[in-house]
Amino acid sequence: MDLDTLLSFEWGTMTPEFIILGILTLLSVLDLFLPKHVDRKILGWIGFVGVILALVSLVSLIGHETTSILFDTFRLDSFAIAFKLILLVGGALVLLLAIDFNHNEGLELYKGEFFYLFLAALLGAMMMASSGDLITLFVGLELLSIPSYILAGMRKRNLKSNESAMKYVINGGISSAITLFGMSYVYGIAGTTNLKGIATVFGGISDAQHIYILGLAFFMIFVGLSFKLASAPFHMWAPDVYEGAPTPVTAFLSVVSKTAGFVIILRILLSVFGYIPVTQEDGQQIPLLFAIQDYIAFLAGATMIIGNVIALRQHNIKRLFAYSSIAHAGYILVALTAMSFVTFDAIWFYLLAYALMNLGAFAIIQLITMKTGSEDISHFAGLYRRAPLLAVAMGIFILSLAGIPGTAGFIGKLNIFMGALMVDQAHYVLVSIMIATTVVSYFYYFGIMTQMFFRPAADEAKISLPAGTTAVILFTAIATILFGIMPNVALDFLHTNFNQFVDFMR
Amino acid sequence: MENAWLIPLFPLVSFLLLLLFGKKLKEASAFVGILATLASLVYSILVLLERLSEPTYKAETVWLTIGDLQLTAGFEVNQLNALMLVIVSLVSFLVHTYSKGYMHGDERIPVFYAYLGLFTFAMLGLVISPNLLQTYIFWELVGVGSFLLIGFYFYKESAKAAAKKAFIMTRIGDVGLLIGMILLFWQTGSFEYDEIFAAVEEGAVSGTMITLTAILIFIGAVGKSGQFPLHTWLPDAMEGPTPVSALIHAATMVAAGVYLVASMFPLFNASETAMLTVAIIGAFTAIFAATIGLVQTDIKRVLAFSTVSQLGYMMLALGSAGYVAGVFHLMTHAFFKALLFLAAGSVIHAVHTQDIEKMGGLWKKLTFTGPLFLIGTLAISGVPLFSGFFSKDEILIAAWAHGNYGLFWLAVIAAFFTAFYMFRLFFMVFSGEARSEMKNVHESPSVMTLPMVVLAVLAVVAGYVNTPWFGSFLGDWLVEGNEALGHGHIAGPGWIMIVATAVSLLGILLAWMMYSKKSISRDWLSSRAPIVYGIVKNKYYIDEIYNQTVVFGAKAISLFLRFIEIFLVEGIVKLTTAAVQALGKTGAKIHSGQVQTYGTIAFVGLAVLMVIFALTGGYL
Repeated sequence: MDLDTLLSFEWGTMTPEFIILGILTLLSVLDLFLPKHVDRKILGWIGFVGVILALVSLVSLIGHETTSILFDTFRLDSFAIAFKLILLVGGALVLLLAIDFNHNEGLELYKGEFFYLFLAALLGAMMMASSGDLITLFVGLELLSIPSYILAGMRKRNLKSNESAMKYVINGGISSAITLFGMSYVYGIAGTTNLKGIATVFGGISDAQHIYILGLAFFMIFVGLSFKLASAPFHMWAPDVYEGAPTPVTAFLSVVSKTAGFVIILRILLSVFGYIPVTQEDGQQIPLLFAIQDYIAFLAGATMIIGNVIALRQHNIKRLFAYSSIAHAGYILVALTAMSFVTFDAIWFYLLAYALMNLGAFAIIQLITMKTGSEDISHFAGLYRRAPLLAVAMGIFILSLAGIPGTAGFIGKLNIFMGALMVDQAHYVLVSIMIATTVVSYFYYFGIMTQMFFRPAADEAKISLPAGTTAVILFTAIATILFGIMPNVALDFLHTNFNQFVDFMR
Repeated sequence: MENAWLIPLFPLVSFLLLLLFGKKLKEASAFVGILATLASLVYSILVLLERLSEPTYKAETVWLTIGDLQLTAGFEVNQLNALMLVIVSLVSFLVHTYSKGYMHGDERIPVFYAYLGLFTFAMLGLVISPNLLQTYIFWELVGVGSFLLIGFYFYKESAKAAAKKAFIMTRIGDVGLLIGMILLFWQTGSFEYDEIFAAVEEGAVSGTMITLTAILIFIGAVGKSGQFPLHTWLPDAMEGPTPVSALIHAATMVAAGVYLVASMFPLFNASETAMLTVAIIGAFTAIFAATIGLVQTDIKRVLAFSTVSQLGYMMLALGSAGYVAGVFHLMTHAFFKALLFLAAGSVIHAVHTQDIEKMGGLWKKLTFTGPLFLIGTLAISGVPLFSGFFSKDEILIAAWAHGNYGLFWLAVIAAFFTAFYMFRLFFMVFSGEARSEMKNVHESPSVMTLPMVVLAVLAVVAGYVNTPWFGSFLGDWLVEGNEALGHGHIAGPGWIMIVATAVSLLGILLAWMMYSKKSISRDWLSSRAPIVYGIVKNKYYIDEIYNQTVVFGAKAISLFLRFIEIFLVEGIVKLTTAAVQALGKTGAKIHSGQVQTYGTIAFVGLAVLMVIFALTGGYL
């Protein structure tokens, strides 16, 4: 590749990524040369500004015509922009939490590392949203994963944190291996790693044996990637890792990392398996993705049941949220199963709503656990008496997570319901499971509510609110209500700017 | 009417204000709440007056776009909505005022009024919703408000449990409603009431589907309105403060189920099976709850079971095509039951106990509450000239005219029980000797008695808007311009009214003889009412018969039904819970923390999927 070709690429489309990369380099250099006594919080604020800048440049790219550079390995399409928006908003909020995170376990020393590792992971997630090639997808995935492993073990002298990182690495390794093995089948049959190229080759595939092998490849890729989603059968690491990791990292794993998982799954599923024609018994041809819908439906159902049912028995708030996050992955998988023409909208909106409500909840969890030094749910007792507004905010997040009307979470679930019922073969069973497990989830969500509102406080001490965390709580609470009452604000934005994602494969 | 959407917003503003500034306002918070509901009330009355002469008003705007589907939000003022607005805002306003006295001295008054505001907002929002989806949203919000209010005395373990039970039990019904709603949407392509009814009328929906959706929606109403078998939460919900019971568990929220069935009436009316289900559940609940009411000794629980029973009447009316009768009874019941609860609150406020065995002789001490309670009792017992008489009469006629003879007689017997247990309550509380420990009993302040006076007046006169003697104004107005709702007045045989009067008087008489005898000396009786004296003279004899037959029978039935309730209904609930719990336990056990297990599970999962895939030749 000569210089001219290199310069002819429209590098402007990568501005958000470059900004993150630049800030991340800057932070690592600063951390190295700044004297020890300088508070590393400043690095966090620089990182935050960087993410906001990236967000601004991303917004300015909205409406940009679909372009791909570097021989179709990096794509800027509406799908990439829409999901990067969620990643960046989520990333910015998590950074604010991380800045305020103080733990008396010697994390101070490594706080600088925390911020640039975090940005590296975020960069990986963004690359995944934009990649048009199996290789870049996988590199993005690893760029997200490896810093995540280190982040989970940031509290070096904490046993649980160590355990958490260890389990995360081992499970992550297994998942990468499975995914990569599946991808190798795809490459073996298609002869190319480029998603568009694969789609073209697969569009004309007719050898039943090949299709059969691709079916097996699908399972490997899907199960491998379900690690990132924390969905069945690869969900078991989540509670242990969530519990041991520092709270901002838990927030990151449950929101940003999960979103990235859905991004990569959508990319691969639609562009690879959405084009393989399968001839059914009645002679009709449907894409492989639709032929194996029942399997995804099964996994979605299993995920919802496992997450919600086991959550009933948790007393550790972070473990509880781990199971709740498994359950939410299950709900989104329902939308993925349905593959109606609103699937993209439904998943995007749900991930947005989930990012807002879950990060808001984690902001409050971080406040309480830092204050009491324990993660037991009983420390939420009497929160309403100690800090009424905090309790009301937490109430909003929990109502939204439970899917009570008037909140963004309800609209998200409604979208998924409608999508699943709109398609020709409506998924009644799956929707019934979703409704039933949602009812189960009320038990544990309202357990927290009972603690906050109906129990006397054990400790009457005031809770001090750091600026960053307050901003996160305010922003997420207002947005959760806003999108719950006026969901069209978000959905209209999606429709006018992203044109139903028609350029997904162009 | 164009600005009717403002009505629910006043209480919402009150809720938000109290949330932000409640701590500073302290007891002055009450005024914020009272003013807000007063504004809603005044506005509601204006809207009702306007609606009397003008056609239905409806305004909508696009709320949510899913694909090419547009969901709307807005409000509608039709006859039923306008009437409900006034009922809800009036009772809410009176309860707000009353609570000023009742809750006096409680340091959490701002919280209480904030919750009341939230609830009133949700309830008013519910009654002006023009479509099912919006109704459902407010329906849930009403549930949240009720959850917070029942659990208000959170330091009581029982209150906490009751709050949770109420929320979960009604949620079970809500799942039915949600599924019914989604099915209806799938069949008709709309959540709008008008469009659904139009589609049903055109025959676009199959008969089975109409029955199915109607019954599913009815399950939602069963949960909210405490109908059998989802009624168990309502008596427990009495753990909340008494004004809350008056507002939520008598006049508004529990009536929401009846309201839902009433506003979906054309759908129900299109299916014989659905109508019959509603009628049977209603009649059964009416008599079932009435028998339980006979043996309760907690003043609020008696009222709670009587509420369940009266709601059963309304369902019976709707299920017997008596749209007007159901809505009419909903209105009169809201007034007299709110009155009874507030009066009960006044009694509890005075004697600090809820056990009627420990009360007695309060008539002379509570000179306001006593007569007011009596008015409520007369109204609910269906004594002629009081409001309950007219509305209950309408229901009986509707049941008869629809050909539900069996259910008609059940309802008549239930009316007898109602009169009996209500007067049993009245006599045990107000007549007889005053207990020694009740020396310092004093009447409630006027801020509490005045709201009761207003309700008492309504409990007497509200019936006259729809009588067979002076014309059925309410009925004619309610069905005006909508033939699907049936006639404004259903003509029935004249003897029904006589039978109804007779059973209610009989019930009262029996109660009086059994529970009032100690307070009235023989001289007093023999000198002033020789005929009554003659009967009373034989009271032992009648008592015996009564004890052998009615009380024993009723007790047996009551015990039997209680048995069903404990072992069957709660058993099923417990079994389900236990199953879920056991599943959770096993699941948690697999989560041993062994990282190799996690990897194994993932691999096994993958292998199972691939084997199934391979064995089925690929594509299931």
